[in-house]
Amino acid sequence: MLDPSSPLGLSLIAASLPFFGAVLSAFLGCTRFGRFAHLPAIISFASASVMSAIVLAGVAEGHGSLAITADLGTWFSVDRLNVDFSFLLDPLSLLMLATVTFIATLIAIFSAGYMRGDSGFARYFSLMGLFVFAMCLLVMANNFFILLAGWEGVGLCSYLLVGYYYAKPSAAAAARKAFLVTRLGDVGLVIGIFLLWQAGGYHTRFDSLFEHIAKHPPASGTITAICLLLFCGAVGKSAQLPLYVWLPDAMEGPTPVSALIHAATMVTAGVFLLARCAPLFVMSPEAGLIVAIIGGSTAFLAAFLALAQNDLKRVLAYSTVSQLGFMFLALGSSGAISPRIAVVAAMFHLFTHAFFKALLFLGSGSVMHAMGNVIDMRKFGGLRKLMPWTHATFLIGSAALAGVPILSGFWSKDQILHSLLEAGESHAKYHTIYYGLFAVAALTAGLTAFYTFRAYFLTFWGEERIPHEAHGHAHESPRLMLVPLVVLAAGALLAGVIVDPLTHWFGHFLERSPSIEHAHAGYLAHSNMVETAHGFHWGVAGLSTLLALGGIGAAASLYRRGGPEKVPEGLKSLYALSLNKLYVDEAYDLAVVKPAEMLAATGRQFDAFLDAIARLLSYAPRFLAALLRPLHNGLVQFYALGMVLGLAVFITVVVFRSAR
Amino acid sequence: MISLWHFLIVGAVLFGLGLVGFLTRRNMITLFLCAELMLQGVVLNFLAFGRMHGSLNGQVFGLFIITVAACEAGLALALFLMLYRRGRSLDSGLWQTIREQGVPPAIDTEPLPIETEEPHPVLPVTGMKPGVAPREREVTRA
Repeated sequence: MLDPSSPLGLSLIAASLPFFGAVLSAFLGCTRFGRFAHLPAIISFASASVMSAIVLAGVAEGHGSLAITADLGTWFSVDRLNVDFSFLLDPLSLLMLATVTFIATLIAIFSAGYMRGDSGFARYFSLMGLFVFAMCLLVMANNFFILLAGWEGVGLCSYLLVGYYYAKPSAAAAARKAFLVTRLGDVGLVIGIFLLWQAGGYHTRFDSLFEHIAKHPPASGTITAICLLLFCGAVGKSAQLPLYVWLPDAMEGPTPVSALIHAATMVTAGVFLLARCAPLFVMSPEAGLIVAIIGGSTAFLAAFLALAQNDLKRVLAYSTVSQLGFMFLALGSSGAISPRIAVVAAMFHLFTHAFFKALLFLGSGSVMHAMGNVIDMRKFGGLRKLMPWTHATFLIGSAALAGVPILSGFWSKDQILHSLLEAGESHAKYHTIYYGLFAVAALTAGLTAFYTFRAYFLTFWGEERIPHEAHGHAHESPRLMLVPLVVLAAGALLAGVIVDPLTHWFGHFLERSPSIEHAHAGYLAHSNMVETAHGFHWGVAGLSTLLALGGIGAAASLYRRGGPEKVPEGLKSLYALSLNKLYVDEAYDLAVVKPAEMLAATGRQFDAFLDAIARLLSYAPRFLAALLRPLHNGLVQFYALGMVLGLAVFITVVVFRSAR
Repeated sequence: MISLWHFLIVGAVLFGLGLVGFLTRRNMITLFLCAELMLQGVVLNFLAFGRMHGSLNGQVFGLFIITVAACEAGLALALFLMLYRRGRSLDSGLWQTIREQGVPPAIDTEPLPIETEEPHPVLPVTGMKPGVAPREREVTRA
């Protein structure tokens, strides 16, 4: 049996705590103590976070591979498919666990203030607990089936939370869209899992699966297909082209939910999946290239779409899509350069992104709270005097997202750019394309700085304007909501610089993950390259600083005095394209939704036709019955007479027949 | 000498009387008696043919029919009692409300009288004052 005080035991307890918190919250919601339903959630997240921090501190030092696995019995076993309750603790899962629980704790504290007085208070916190639990299950899994269970749990909870205001039609539609679009990717994921299971000698546990594949490599076509199918799931969950459309709509839910989805629990799952499967991706340069191209085009497209949005949360949503694109860019370069660099860059960006994106979303939640649920940037402005704390923390988050030096976003974005450049300089198969992707990523970084600071200036600068929905008492948020903002701002400021550029702790720790070790070994076997030292590249850093400051400067020159929108002549058509989201929603509507609706309408007509035939048949007995119905008049003697007449006819026939 | 024909004639007469009685009377107890009469006519036929063939099959059948008729009598009388309590009358035409919906009712030109006298006292639950059975809802004549 597993020792509860061992690292794995402790982190499994940490992973399951949110579940019990969720149950307790739901239970409290049924009693008259419903207004305390946030306590179980906050306490369980916080203690899970502390536990994972303890585990992290315990294993942080040291060298060599770090992977602790445990089988807690069989889940199911069908013929050759043997699935155990198998869990894995390695740096990858531990870092995810710690990040997710820490960010979730802060978001839960913020939500306690944000959601106060809402009728679904207990439902909200219970769903949130379930959400975090599903994500923890996902990261702790040691086989694809438990991972899939967590994956689907995350999808379900996101559906329920996005549709939290289920009476609002737009929220219900957004929830449905999120669920169906991610489901489209999940189909690919499930096929990929089973293909991998077959190619991997019918093993289910990650370690034996990857070992088998390393020893008996399948045909390159198979491995590329597996990689692309797995990536298909990640595209759905992590909102990449062409399935990104659900994420901007998903902010119909309460704002802290958006923070949770964007920062910790949902969209990072795809990045985590690909990091976990890095040993497969190094074997297929084609798959890596496709991942990088999709990531790059998503990053650029989403940044372009974010340029003209009027809705503060929508800008942030597109920026998440764009930043996820960056992570996939890094993951995609892992075939051309060592996954020790590429995957670490992606995971590092995921880590820092969690801080500043949660901060930005909670900041926008704070603005929304003050403005009477108005989030349209045209309706308010100049809030920096009114909400000094929100303003300061939002500024730090924006600067981190834009990639201002020293802040956390700068280091991680720099690593990604650097790894792309190295992939371009390498002698890998498609290295010239990586040069192009580097250029796209650099351009996107500039756009990121511009749109982030456009949103910032429109919200906080210029003359003070407050929408009438705020009923005249717009105010700074209560302290309960400011504390998470300040903590996250500290994280966005310092988390990046502490964990990697100064100490290189993050990279060294993550390298001890067996997934990355396997991938690195595979990379060395597949390429005849010598390993290059990965240092700080002053040229890339200078370029990204220049781009960030350029973007900020452009935003400042246009929007320093706040709204309204100022568009330079000649860019009007581009502005309209961005504002209308490139008409992607309309195109999807035309290409997918409308044909489906037409098919459904045709099916309905056909069904009505079949129904008409069936109804016609059913009229025949009814018509016959109508003829006979008067016979049933309730008089006993009448029935008896009928019987007697029948008997008489019968006897007559018998007598005449026998007489003949 | 009494031949098979005599038996058969008596049986047929019993059956015929029962049949006519069943079709013409409407007091439910009379109806039941007529049905019994028909049954006994049939039993007589069984016995006669059994005797003619010299086998016991007919007699066994007869015994069975008598047994079944006894059960039937118990059941039928209990049902009549319940119907009487509801409708305060033994008229079988009173129950034509069970007819199919939408079929016009048969008009009874000379209905049987409905008894209105007080019902008999019933045994009370222990510890309660003896009283009179509550009057059942009267079934109106259609």
